[in-house]
Amino acid sequence: MVFLSLSCWIRNRGPDRYWKVQEVLKHARHFRGRKNRCYSLAVLAVRRAFVYATKARRFKKRNMRTLWITRIAAASREHGMKYPALMHNLTKTSVQLNRRVICDLAITEPRSFLSLAKLARARQQEGLRAALGDGKEPPGVLSRVVVLQ
Amino acid sequence: MALTRGAGLWRTCCRLVPRQPLLLSAAVRTQSTVSGDLLPCPVQTSLSSPPWQGKTVLVSEEEERSRHAAVVDTVNQLIHKQDFGRLFAVVHFAGRQWKVTNEDLIQIENHIDAECGERIRMEKVLLVGAEEFTLIGRPLLGKDLVRVDATVIEKTESWPKINMVFWKRHRYQRKKIIIQPQTVLRINSIELAPRLT
Repeated sequence: MVFLSLSCWIRNRGPDRYWKVQEVLKHARHFRGRKNRCYSLAVLAVRRAFVYATKARRFKKRNMRTLWITRIAAASREHGMKYPALMHNLTKTSVQLNRRVICDLAITEPRSFLSLAKLARARQQEGLRAALGDGKEPPGVLSRVVVLQ
Repeated sequence: MALTRGAGLWRTCCRLVPRQPLLLSAAVRTQSTVSGDLLPCPVQTSLSSPPWQGKTVLVSEEEERSRHAAVVDTVNQLIHKQDFGRLFAVVHFAGRQWKVTNEDLIQIENHIDAECGERIRMEKVLLVGAEEFTLIGRPLLGKDLVRVDATVIEKTESWPKINMVFWKRHRYQRKKIIIQPQTVLRINSIELAPRLT
């Protein structure tokens, strides 16, 4: 025979307020000072922490994007291009890699990043030549002719 | 650098205003921008010469075609002999782009329409990189050229994220617990076919 009623009764003991307080203090146990044991202080601190966490989820996306842009800018300077020129010409050649992936490539795959930079460079030369008006083909990247679609 | 620049300005200003040494300090300020054109620029910057003045060698169309054919032939031979190292690919999946290689685990923040253990094919491949060459899709690579396979391993839920909004002095406070379904995928293989044209 298994007697469950005693153990269930032990588990259910205590007033509701006790459990409500524990629910808040659970999130405040690692805080510093009286916040981690006094309910009236812990409530304020926990609410503040939740609001910070909510906002930070949005800010993280923004900050990561600026970080990627900084890294791509540094890596493209290494190949003699500027960040706006690189991204603009990659868009013009309909390469739709996003900044996160290009940043990863710049760090871990330098040869792939070099080919991207070369592609953008060729497109830039082409654009400049078209703007100057002699309408000649640019040298350099050969795979420009490849269109798979 | 500042010294040489100062000397250059000194010389220019002496030429421009030879008889008025007392006005020199004022002259340096006012005419430094104007006299920049007369001097050869001491520091090479991106604005020293216009970007289209770089030396470019023009290649005729036949020449370019033949070079392109040579490159494509070389890459096709490499693919045919399977003579590349470990491949990596950039796939567009679940609204974001993933750089994956063989035997990677990726976790997407949503459920997908396949059961656990099913094998799926990722069709939007943006880039494939090997040791000697990189294939860049514009924007996608062909389906017969590259094949990326994955297996659904696990379907689970994220830890409860708490979304809290609070306006002070407005008696406004909203708390919502968000649990997002998640899926873990294993990348099984990245295969290339020698179909480059």
